[in-house]
Amino acid sequence: MRHLATWSILGLTLTFLIGPFLIIILAGASATDYLAFPPEGLTLKWYLKVFTVESFRASFALSMALAIFGTFMALLLGVPAAYALNRYDLPGAETLRTIVAAPIIVPGIIVGLALLRYMVVPTGVTVTLALFMAHTALVLPYAVRVVSSSMTNLRADMEEAAVLLGCSRLQAFTKVVLPNIRGGVLAAFILGFVTSFNQVPVSLFLSGPGVRTLPIDMLAYMEITFDPSVAALSALLAFMSLAIVFTAERLLGFSRYV
Amino acid sequence: MSDAFVQLSDLTLSYGKSVAVPNLDLSIREGELIALLGPSGCGKTTTMRSIAGLLAPTGGTITIDGRDVTRVPANKRGIGLVFQSYALFPHLTAFENVAFGLRLQKLPEAEIKARTEEGLATVGLTGFEKRKPAEMSGGQQQRVALARSLVMRPKVLLLDEPLSNLDARLRLEMRTELQRVQKETGITMVFVTHDQAEALALADRIVLMKDGKIEQLGTPSDLYARPATAFAAEFMGFENIFRVEGTEVVTAKGRLPLEARPESPILAWRPDAVTVGSGPHEGRVAACSFAGAHREYVIDSALGPIKADAAIALPEVALGETIRFDLPLSTARGLAA
Amino acid sequence: MFRNTREGLALALPAAIFSTLLFLVPVGILLSEAFRSGGSWSLQGYIDFFSTPLNRTVFLRTLKLGVLVAGTAAVIGYAAAFCIVNLGPKSRGKVFGMVVLPLMISPVARTYAWIVILGRTGIVNEAITGLGLSDTPLRLLFTETAVFLGLLQLFLPLMIISLVSAMENIPRDVIPAARVLGASWIAVFFKVILPLTKEGLVIGGTLVFTGALTAYITPAILGGSKVLMLETLLYQRVNVSNDFVSASVIAMILIVMSFSANLLLKRIATARS
Repeated sequence: MRHLATWSILGLTLTFLIGPFLIIILAGASATDYLAFPPEGLTLKWYLKVFTVESFRASFALSMALAIFGTFMALLLGVPAAYALNRYDLPGAETLRTIVAAPIIVPGIIVGLALLRYMVVPTGVTVTLALFMAHTALVLPYAVRVVSSSMTNLRADMEEAAVLLGCSRLQAFTKVVLPNIRGGVLAAFILGFVTSFNQVPVSLFLSGPGVRTLPIDMLAYMEITFDPSVAALSALLAFMSLAIVFTAERLLGFSRYV
Repeated sequence: MSDAFVQLSDLTLSYGKSVAVPNLDLSIREGELIALLGPSGCGKTTTMRSIAGLLAPTGGTITIDGRDVTRVPANKRGIGLVFQSYALFPHLTAFENVAFGLRLQKLPEAEIKARTEEGLATVGLTGFEKRKPAEMSGGQQQRVALARSLVMRPKVLLLDEPLSNLDARLRLEMRTELQRVQKETGITMVFVTHDQAEALALADRIVLMKDGKIEQLGTPSDLYARPATAFAAEFMGFENIFRVEGTEVVTAKGRLPLEARPESPILAWRPDAVTVGSGPHEGRVAACSFAGAHREYVIDSALGPIKADAAIALPEVALGETIRFDLPLSTARGLAA
Repeated sequence: MFRNTREGLALALPAAIFSTLLFLVPVGILLSEAFRSGGSWSLQGYIDFFSTPLNRTVFLRTLKLGVLVAGTAAVIGYAAAFCIVNLGPKSRGKVFGMVVLPLMISPVARTYAWIVILGRTGIVNEAITGLGLSDTPLRLLFTETAVFLGLLQLFLPLMIISLVSAMENIPRDVIPAARVLGASWIAVFFKVILPLTKEGLVIGGTLVFTGALTAYITPAILGGSKVLMLETLLYQRVNVSNDFVSASVIAMILIVMSFSANLLLKRIATARS
């Protein structure tokens, strides 16, 4: 009896959370020219069409580049910051932590608008560069948080031991700290990549001619056409995210870090 | 002082504005096993860290083997330190942990292998080369940490509370191990501890510290038999320490007469130095426990509680009963004020 | 070794400076815009904003949907989290993984599914016309219900995750102990589970409420211009009418709402104990 109740509650919840994906997978395979469910006739033509749409290809490339380089940059800034906040007794450490974590608190649409108005317009930097900066700022809090939590168990005296055995400070970091937080850094990269790739509000205002991230491009495409290709693309993106997360989980127990 | 191998002169160590150790002078001979003993916060760990080079002194000098190393960075000092937490590198095997420092020196692979295996053999861990720290017991981890320092052939080996994380059986084993290694290698060792029994059992000389200063320095038997101050006496197991006024010992509770006028302003008795079952004074038994070779009494006296050990041959006195005792001058230790 | 403050700051400051220059400064200027009308400081921007009936409607709707989504997520979240915590270790990890996974998937994809479900030719309408309940398909998209469902699906995992980790920290035998002492399940929930998990509820509630307030895609796709929320209104004001003062006002409202929600929930949580 208890068992039945438990599994029906979980069944309903999971259907609500995951069911829609099963629906879009099938909807993207409908032979009709409009969205239909249940699909009327099955075809892969919409899945294939996704790859031939020029704007999708361009925006996919942009989103990929932003996610990879933005996250990389965020780690470049975030790993030393996480290290310093963990190891040193810094004056104003709480303030530093808050500043670095701030981009997570403020709605993305506001960040995008502010950057457009007060950085792109007055300084004339390209939209692409602004997007890159915005995505870096957005991923930075995750990078600091995840790397920090993987560093808390790493005692400072390990580095001292390394130094006493002849390491320079930098060697102590690369030979002792880095190998032990590798999992955390990788997890931060994946989390950052996924967050950045899926990000919409920040990029909403930061787009220009030929410069659009994939999610924005999908929104625009939806307004013009109503064919199942967006469903197909959504399904493909879902598969991509799942594949990344699944691989990460298998390789390093990703969920420990999230 | 010419035979000093490690010389701390006028050493001042501070954390920010607070001075942890003011103007310390200490010389350690080559091949000696020295214990820095004291309660937490006495500056013993701070002193040890400054010898290692992990803490820069705000004043004074540190000389090792005739060379001033005060400004030499930790990685160039040639000093080993076994951390209280062992600080093994969790991503490396026992072998790679021990070989870590040798690899940094870019020694030939054959020499690294030979010295690492020799180091592991010295601490009795042959066959454990491939284990990661997480797969070893606390005692084994500590041996790896010891071997890791020893293979570097340091001028001085520092040990931070080397026995405190081990259980009673391993503690005895490790104690013998440390003495054996010291005898075999002849290395100068400085270890930090808060446990007087550990210091007494292990050290050639004990540096008893209090508030960043040396309270007393001497051999274990010296310190045990002849503590100089009330603090030292208390640390060495003198339970009954009283102030002297004229021919009486005095506490806030009351006073008791002595048989003569003593020379010292403070007198101390170990529990076994108190005479029980006879004597001029009386008290009530507040607690009594059996300890094998003797009985441990807490006597409620005019001075307050007195701890006294009675031979097992003497008849047991029940709780609340009156018991006679004496504080003889002959077994008292006189202390400086 | 780690006492060199200058060294520590050199490591931490690049990130802080980056965040300040690219984030705090521009956002700060944007937020101050509404307070400056004609060169002097005033609240005119706010007064103008709230004197427009449409803006008031949108503000109240955003608040209402935020509360509804967070409240519903809490109810479902408690039921689901309780079930998950009581599963065997093996199925527990799997179910928890399935709850977390949707978070990794593009919100566009997650929201798009609702078009398939609620659209004119979607499942629900096919069912209704198929069963003969109605001759013409119903308008289900571009309604508050659609936005509500989309937001709930988007943010429910955050609530479940918070509550599961809160419930994992309930001492093991507390609930059986309460049952043995004669507490009904309702009493167990209100007297034991709720007080012991309120911190998780505060975290989850803040995450869901803030998420619902600041989501853009879901109200844009499922609400459109018929069911505007603050975020979509902001976008419209900027893109259609170039009205940056309203944008600044909305930005401030969103931030104030998020922070007050967090404070309010914390206050409620501490008041109970």
